[in-house]
Amino acid sequence: MSSIGYFFKESLQGFVRNLSTALGSIVTIFLSLLIIGIFLVGGSMIERLMSSVESEVSITCYVADDAPDAKIQQVMGTINGMSDVQSVGFTSKDQALENFRNSMTANPEILDQLDGNNPLPASIDVELTNPQSVSSVAAAIQADPIYGQICEDPNDVGDSIKYGQGTVERLFQITNYVRYIGIALIAILIFIALVFINNTIRLAILARRKEIAIMRLVGASNGFIRGPFLMEGALHALIGSLLAILVIQLLRMFAIPALQNAIRFLDFSISDSTYLFIYAMLVIFGLLIGLVGSMFAMRRYLKV
Amino acid sequence: MAQDASRARAARSSARRTSAAHASQPKSKAQLTSQLSQALPVLGIDDVPAKMGTPVITLEHVTKVYPAQPNRPALSDVSLQIYAGEFLFLVGHSGSGKSTFIKLLTRELKPTQGHIYVADEDLSSMRNWRVPYLRRNIGCVFQDFKLLPNKTVFENVAFALEVIGKSKHVVKTQVPEVLRLVGLQEKLNKKPDQLSGGEQQRVSIARAIVNRPPLLICDEPTGNLDPQTSRGIMDLLERINRTGTTVLVATHDREMVDNMRRRVIALDRGHLTRDQDRGVYGFDV
Repeated sequence: MSSIGYFFKESLQGFVRNLSTALGSIVTIFLSLLIIGIFLVGGSMIERLMSSVESEVSITCYVADDAPDAKIQQVMGTINGMSDVQSVGFTSKDQALENFRNSMTANPEILDQLDGNNPLPASIDVELTNPQSVSSVAAAIQADPIYGQICEDPNDVGDSIKYGQGTVERLFQITNYVRYIGIALIAILIFIALVFINNTIRLAILARRKEIAIMRLVGASNGFIRGPFLMEGALHALIGSLLAILVIQLLRMFAIPALQNAIRFLDFSISDSTYLFIYAMLVIFGLLIGLVGSMFAMRRYLKV
Repeated sequence: MAQDASRARAARSSARRTSAAHASQPKSKAQLTSQLSQALPVLGIDDVPAKMGTPVITLEHVTKVYPAQPNRPALSDVSLQIYAGEFLFLVGHSGSGKSTFIKLLTRELKPTQGHIYVADEDLSSMRNWRVPYLRRNIGCVFQDFKLLPNKTVFENVAFALEVIGKSKHVVKTQVPEVLRLVGLQEKLNKKPDQLSGGEQQRVSIARAIVNRPPLLICDEPTGNLDPQTSRGIMDLLERINRTGTTVLVATHDREMVDNMRRRVIALDRGHLTRDQDRGVYGFDV
């Protein structure tokens, strides 16, 4: 136990002696951990958002062109009476074309191809209070006999009822790309951090080479000689990870509420336990980087 | 007679200590404080300790070739035995292989061919992690002292104990004791640069023997010192030898070797040219 105290004392000395390189390695660890942390926080936010998007879908029931208004009104009334239904709206063929035109401003030539025809069906749009019941409501609509008469294809009623899993899949794709970019960025930063720590520890070893020579001479064990340098690497990593945690905590306290205010329809809150988990991950990851970095340096520069 | 017996005992015990490596640490406080002073007999007229028992160091056809000079071995086919309690000189010109010899004993180097046994352990097959424990049994003194300039005399000697994990108590009792032995009890708190060369070498010797190694190796311990100071250092080494410690001194100092008449091992360009009891320096320099 006494040697742990000795290691600590020595590593602090090394820290003071090479302040600038020590700061360099701390800053790189800090930055890489900060980015890892931001990705972790962002990742868990997106996961939450996606699950909420997944559950907040509305149901779109397409209606045949020749469906009489009375029957449509009747079906809308029936759906309105179902449990968990918040509101029922109607999109006419013209409105559907208008919506389509608005979403196709990027390539209007598609609209020209329509030659004035309107292939888009009218639809009944259902908003739900409880997103979990989306499939049961959809099934109930499908079972409704009057809707069966006015739907696009009476032989396959289910085909006319859409609720969007597609959007969720697209989101997944996008977040996957983001994840790859994040992993590449993190890998580069970790590499830089390792190089920095390697360099810092090398300088610490050089600064103490006389003492190391004497320690070897009088038979200090390898572990004892290495201890201070491992400790120094770990110390840098710890300081770097604490800084990263501090910054993420500040972001959590100030930036996320501001973001939440700006974008009200999305929920950015993550539970405390998730944050704690992320912080623990950062500390462990930092220690790993620090220890591996100083181990590299010792293998190359510290012959024992 | 009684002195002979005690020397033999000391020699045997030192041989045992070597073989048991680090296992035999002093157990109680009483042992701790008394062992050194008890083991130090008063300086008197004395004969050369006889070769007795089994050798503590054996070299068998040792050859060391450095990769940089493949055609000129630093040591070539050297075989010799060193017995517990011996005091021997290793002489030779620069480049004759003295330093290589010493580095082989502390296993800073491995022999290219042949075997080196220290206390029955083959250094060429020794595991790396065991090397520190070998070195705890070998004290080393160098021409350039190798003291830490930012530490006091006490701290320099204490460092040797601290880094092998000795307790504060051991440090507190053993360091003043060994500094008294080398005659520096007054200068505990001086920094090395406040001491004369002879005094610095005494600190270095104190550091080498504070852990009571059975073997003390000195690489030109008086190379930087004037003849009178050198004499003092050699007296000290002789006293340490009398405690049963085997002492090996590599030196250029013709006068000293001739005066002391101990065993002399002469190396010339890597070859063992002479191994002589009560020898003289014998080179025409």
